[in-house]
Amino acid sequence: MEAQAEMIVRCVDLRRRYGEGEAAVDALAGVTLDFPRGELTSIVGPSGSGKSTLMHVLAGLDRPTGGQVWVDGSEITALEDAELTRLRRDKLGFIFQFFNLVPVLSAEENVTLPLRIAGRDVDDGWLETLLDTVGIADRRTHRPAELSGGQQQRVAIARALISKPAVVFADEPTGNLDSTSSTHVLELLRRSVDELGHTVIMVTHDPRVAAYADRVVLLVDGGVSSDTSVASAEQVHELMQTA
Amino acid sequence: MLRLAIRNFGARKLRSVATAMAVFFGVAMVAGTLILSDSVNASFDELFGEVNAGIDVSIRPEVAVEGEFGSVPTTGFDASLLKQVRGVDGVEKAAGTINDPRISILDENGDRIGPPQGGPPHIAVSPLPEPFESLSYIEGSQPRTPDEFGIDSISADNEGYEIGDTVRITGPAGAKEYTLSGIAEFGSGASLGGASLAEFTLGEARRLTDKPGKFDAIDAAAADGVTPEQLAQRIAAALPSNVDVRTGTETAAEDAGDIKDGFAFLTTALLVFAAIAVFVGAFLIYNTFSITIAQRTREFAMLRTLGASARQLVAGVLAEAAMVGALASALGIAGGFGFVVAIKAIFSAVGFDLPTSGLGLDLTTVLIAIAVGIGATVLSALAPALRATRVAPLEALRESGGSTEAEVRRHGRRRTVIAAVLSVLGVAIIALTLFGSGGIGSALVQLGVGLVALFIGLAMLGGRAVPAIASALGWPIEKLRGIPGRLARENSQREPARTATTAAALMIGVALVVFVGVFSSSIKTSATETIDSQFAGDLAIVNTDGFSPIPAKIADEVAGIDGVQSVSPLSTVPAKLDDGGEEINLTGVEPDGLAAIANLDWTDGSDETLAELGSSGAIVEQGWADDNDVEVGDTVPLTGANGEQIEVEVRGAVDDQSGLVVGSLAIARTTLRDTFGVTDDFLDFVGFAPGADAAATRNAVDELLASRFPNAESRDQNELKADQEDAINQVVALIYVLLGLSVIVSVFGIVNTLSLTILERRREFGMLRAIGSSRRQVRRMVRYESVITALLGTIVGAVVGLVLAIAAVEALKDEGLVLSVPIALPIVVLIAAIVLGALAAIGPARRASRVNVIEALQYE
Ligand SMILES: Nc1ncnc2c1ncn2[C@@H]1O[C@H](COP(=O)(O)OP(=O)(O)OP(=O)(O)O)[C@@H](O)[C@H]1O
Ligand SMILES: [Mg+2]
Repeated sequence: MEAQAEMIVRCVDLRRRYGEGEAAVDALAGVTLDFPRGELTSIVGPSGSGKSTLMHVLAGLDRPTGGQVWVDGSEITALEDAELTRLRRDKLGFIFQFFNLVPVLSAEENVTLPLRIAGRDVDDGWLETLLDTVGIADRRTHRPAELSGGQQQRVAIARALISKPAVVFADEPTGNLDSTSSTHVLELLRRSVDELGHTVIMVTHDPRVAAYADRVVLLVDGGVSSDTSVASAEQVHELMQTA
Repeated sequence: MLRLAIRNFGARKLRSVATAMAVFFGVAMVAGTLILSDSVNASFDELFGEVNAGIDVSIRPEVAVEGEFGSVPTTGFDASLLKQVRGVDGVEKAAGTINDPRISILDENGDRIGPPQGGPPHIAVSPLPEPFESLSYIEGSQPRTPDEFGIDSISADNEGYEIGDTVRITGPAGAKEYTLSGIAEFGSGASLGGASLAEFTLGEARRLTDKPGKFDAIDAAAADGVTPEQLAQRIAAALPSNVDVRTGTETAAEDAGDIKDGFAFLTTALLVFAAIAVFVGAFLIYNTFSITIAQRTREFAMLRTLGASARQLVAGVLAEAAMVGALASALGIAGGFGFVVAIKAIFSAVGFDLPTSGLGLDLTTVLIAIAVGIGATVLSALAPALRATRVAPLEALRESGGSTEAEVRRHGRRRTVIAAVLSVLGVAIIALTLFGSGGIGSALVQLGVGLVALFIGLAMLGGRAVPAIASALGWPIEKLRGIPGRLARENSQREPARTATTAAALMIGVALVVFVGVFSSSIKTSATETIDSQFAGDLAIVNTDGFSPIPAKIADEVAGIDGVQSVSPLSTVPAKLDDGGEEINLTGVEPDGLAAIANLDWTDGSDETLAELGSSGAIVEQGWADDNDVEVGDTVPLTGANGEQIEVEVRGAVDDQSGLVVGSLAIARTTLRDTFGVTDDFLDFVGFAPGADAAATRNAVDELLASRFPNAESRDQNELKADQEDAINQVVALIYVLLGLSVIVSVFGIVNTLSLTILERRREFGMLRAIGSSRRQVRRMVRYESVITALLGTIVGAVVGLVLAIAAVEALKDEGLVLSVPIALPIVVLIAAIVLGALAAIGPARRASRVNVIEALQYE
């Protein structure tokens, strides 16, 4: 139990099957993983290996066809939609590949959106810190259409962190960015873990991106192929080649 | 291209059907109205054909002036005419009859059977020998004594009459109890359109209708070898000129024609409302196609890169529109029968039986319905279709569909100019119609054209105004409802043109509802104010049906009641001003008592003038006199309904804009009676003696009326006002029902726009759900956006309607109209808008809240 409390996200024998009969696809074929607090984890793997599916199931966006998931000590696999919504609202943060900002709201409003949805007050100090950290303090009144892709993704990161979530999920956060913007965004995620003590689980198929993580989990055909602490992009690349 | 259009139509089945619904209601109303009018006309032709079947020639008193409501009850002609007819060479047989619509058949409470007010007539008839008789008894027999009567089978069924029942019937001679001797019907049991027929012996019919020694009509049959036309000519030559001689066929056509003319008004009115519904529908079609075409920009660009020509793209979109229109037409024709049933139900609720023997679908109706359905859809889709051609092949490669900023702005400026021109043009046409001169018929058409231009202009301008207004409307919602309110407020301004068109559809219905509400309230206020200011008496005695004449004897008998000081009868007759041919409703006044009971507002002359009116004097209503260039001192030649001619001298003028006493021209009542043969009065004003017990006196009056003249009743000031209001309210209610259909169409429009919009914003809803929005919050967001759109249309519509009503009332100030805005109306309309907006959002909101988060996010 002690150890469990330190594990912010756990899953045991997680399965997700799409379709039925002959055409059935096992996107997840029994995944068991622990994610400790305060770590940046990369989930890598070839296309179709189940990375996105794993993230969706861990975040309660999708229901597994087998196995269990715990987030911050409570099992979420049995929760109703309303409870899952509350869980996402209170404990999780999301960063998507297609930024997914609300086009009619300003950058600052997009950042504070989760708090407003939850009906919570905005901690002004924290908001300023975040806007400064992601470097969009001077663009706060701009609408998403007036921001570059990299700036939009930085707004999305601030949005994911504003509610001080227990864990942040990021699916291909740099998938639509050039290398400069990518670097900037990844450094941000790194700092949020190192300086702010957040937990980030990031899905990517880019070894260089994965190398920013403390730990790299390699998925192949819906199963965990390796789970290591690696240092460089080359190592990750090698890892993926062997798969 | 056609195959692609069919695919598109099929692939979006639900949307195609929803879009078709926009035109469906209009087509259903058009088809229904045509089906109804064909069938009613056929029924009346059949009915009067049967009535006149055995008659070769029909002779009736001449109606020189028909009056507003068609033929007036005539005074009949002397029975000696029958001898003259029989003496004409070629007449095989001839007989006379009474046919008088001034009776009332009463139920056990002394009330008229059938509808209480303004319903179809009750007609007294007398038997005819073969071959003229068209009634045949299916039960019992003809009345044989003065105490018996026969009745038509439909009235008997409605009232549950059985042979031997005692029924009270009242006529110009007063009320009497009769025993039912038989139940009769026309050859095929044809409907009488709600009218009731009571047959009496000739003697009793004459007594009851106060026509001793008279006939209302004489029928003749031709001897062998003489055609009806020949016979009609011979009879006409032998009779005085103040009778009408026609063949039976002509008479049947004439009689049916009179009723059909009356019904044609209803047909026109229904078609006007159908046109409104089609117009509203057109907005929605335009909007739906605009949105779907914007959503398919990529597809069009891709087709262009593959070599499709601009014309092919337009043809493809129009083909899709034609399919939607065809669907709407097919559904609409079926719905037309539903509309017929609904209209018949509404009319039978107020006592009219619209006779529709065998509802049929005629080819013309089908063709018109198809033309309206497909025409409206294709025309509305034309502009969006042309927009599809402007899609450059390059846009297939662009990230998000749509035009560039510059394009939008250039396009927007041109649009604004067109919109402004249309709006100004619309206002100008409306103003010209209201304040210029011109016939009422062309005025309505002009008004329609002006309104269409104004509405389209406003809808187009709306795009400019939407952000500001929507923002203002959304403000309280945002303050009260937090983030869903904030997003709804912003989203409603996101596609201003789209929101504007959607709201505009609702605007049209609301503008018309508010216009009718304010305008009718102004009419009511004016009418009640007139009663307040001009009616100084205690009671008015009127027919229980509200508009028919009352027996002249009432005035004499009421005058004899204790506590009644004065009775002043008023009679009317349709008449013609000889030179202009202008038809008026000539009033006959009793100069002695009138001044005491009515506060005449003299502009020239005084109550003295009235006292000295004599047999050749007249007073005019000032406004009418101005319009017709008649001045005090003029001599005016008049022709009455019976063809008699007199000249009167105008001695004075009064202001009586609503025509309570003097609508146009008033002369002495005795002249109406002696020269124009008017036997009845229109109403009696009654004044009580000072100090008389008002309640007791009224009781005495009511008792007299109930026992002697049950088809008359007394009304005090307040009751008169209430009667006026009730009559107007009934018409307004019917108009609201018909406008309601247009409002329903516009609600479908909101549903459609929201659904399409939500499709575009799936990703956004998915993201909101992912970061913790509850389903409920998403639903609210959509609902508030819908409410903002509905409020937008409603508020602009209410303002437009109010302005139009103010203008119309101002234009009709000369007719005595005073502006009156019912306070409840805007409140009710606003609440209705909120409710409708929320209702329209139910489906789309549910769909938005159920987006599959993952799918919505992965989708590109
Ligand atoms: N909704 C679905 N219906 C059926 N099969 C699905 C569905 N979603 C995913 N799959 C299948 O599940 C498997 C894993 O998909 P997933 O999206 O998790 O892969 P991924 O690792 O994220 O791939 P990529 O790197 O391309 O994003 C794939 O074989 C995919 O085809
Ligand atoms: Mg993926």
